[in-house]
Amino acid sequence: MSVILKAQEVCFGYTRLPVLENVSFEIESGDYIGIIGPNGGGKTTLLKLILGLEKGHGKITWFGAPIAQFKEWHKIGYLAQKSPVSQTRFPVSAEEVVLMGLAEHHGSRVTIQELKQVQEAMQQTNTREYAGRIFQDLSIGQQQRVLLARALVSRPQILILDEPSTALDASSREMFFGLLGTLNKKHGVTILLITHDTGEVGKHISKFMYIDKRLVFFGTKEEFCHSAEVAKQLGVFAQHTIDHLHNHHGHCPLGETCTECHHDE
Amino acid sequence: MMSEFLSYGFVQKGLVAGSLVAASCALLGVFLILKRLSLIGDGMSHVCLTGVALALLTSANPVYVSIPVVMVSSLGIMKLMQKIRLNGDAAIGIVSAAGLSVGLVITALAGGFNTDLLSFLFGSILTVSWIEAALCGILLAVILVLLRCFYRDLTSACFDEPFAKTRGISVQTVQTVLVIITSVAVVLAFKVVGIFLISALLIIPPISALLVSRTFKQVLWKSVLFSVVSVWAGVFVSFLLDIPSGAAIILINLLVLVSCFSWMKLGNTHDR
Repeated sequence: MSVILKAQEVCFGYTRLPVLENVSFEIESGDYIGIIGPNGGGKTTLLKLILGLEKGHGKITWFGAPIAQFKEWHKIGYLAQKSPVSQTRFPVSAEEVVLMGLAEHHGSRVTIQELKQVQEAMQQTNTREYAGRIFQDLSIGQQQRVLLARALVSRPQILILDEPSTALDASSREMFFGLLGTLNKKHGVTILLITHDTGEVGKHISKFMYIDKRLVFFGTKEEFCHSAEVAKQLGVFAQHTIDHLHNHHGHCPLGETCTECHHDE
Repeated sequence: MMSEFLSYGFVQKGLVAGSLVAASCALLGVFLILKRLSLIGDGMSHVCLTGVALALLTSANPVYVSIPVVMVSSLGIMKLMQKIRLNGDAAIGIVSAAGLSVGLVITALAGGFNTDLLSFLFGSILTVSWIEAALCGILLAVILVLLRCFYRDLTSACFDEPFAKTRGISVQTVQTVLVIITSVAVVLAFKVVGIFLISALLIIPPISALLVSRTFKQVLWKSVLFSVVSVWAGVFVSFLLDIPSGAAIILINLLVLVSCFSWMKLGNTHDR
């Protein structure tokens, strides 16, 4: 598998206050990575750094190119934690918002191909019925699905999501993570996701990254769940995550392969 | 009476220049409001005073002297926002205060206020020259070309700045170009409505349009429509009642704003 993203000794901090220290990792094509960690641990900052929204120290490489020289941003889809809606009335339709995800053309002209891509992305996220409605008039959950369509419209190779399920109800959350799972398994889209919702999303995740001002753990779900030593080092939060993974919906997301659940059988 | 009013050459020049500059301000204002930079017009208009005072001191054309002065100041506002991470309102406040102080000092050195300076403070649309009208036309043409070529970048940068950056859009460049063009528009507008009322031309028509539009393109053309109609109605009313044209234009704009707000409220009531 090819390396999509490489971070080497990435550091970030405000004056005298380190937020992230020496974080290094590689993300391969097809990975589905859950980033977890305590609040204030630097998860969102890490995403901002790899997206070029913040400037820190260290080396970040996208598809083999240093981030400063990287131009193929359409290969990356991004969904932020908060909806961008402000107090000021901004009458753009949901369809116009999705179109903003296509930045190859800069002007007002919209090509037939672009319209097709917009419709396809809205179809995937079940948002076609809102296409003509003003984005600000939609509910927060509907807005989040439209923003997911915007992240998908350029047919990205990697999706980066920052706690996307916070505003979703239970059924929307299931649909949301089901879609991410399909994109990952059927279409090979790499997913990098900050989440506290380890129960639902845990079914699909292949690797965990635990960030608490540094990279504490990065490995497969199996390694994360089964390593009692890691669990001890990670403390209460990680133990809670592991418990959640094991107990969600009354069954372990690892199924019969989980030696932790089946060691007595 | 209308035909008599339109038969005067100075009225024709004023209406052409006024319409062109009002359309420019209406388009720019939409993006400035959405970028929360709506008070930049107010800040720059205060800096205009430095340009006008310098021009009166050196007997030069105030428009030509003010354009570079206001442009440099607008870049100063951008630098304060980007380098020191100041909010737009604070950066505008600093540059505006500096512009006003320097302008007042130069005016004092030049021997105090005179009628020329007062006409710039309150506007005199009917003294616009054909060259200034042509400059207004060039400004509007530049804005329309930029809108046509960078419409998606502009809307994206205003709607969601971080996401726009992840599309490879240079939000900083978009913002800088927007602010530089606004500085030219502000200088050309001070002849129309006066230094004190320029920001109203940048704020009121876009706000009115935002209240009664359902798409972004509607916002743009309605903003232009409201602004141009206000200039024509304002100049006509000022001619009729013998009142200052700048103030009349802004009062008509406010009337349009109140009408749009009532229309929006009425629409919401009907929706329920």
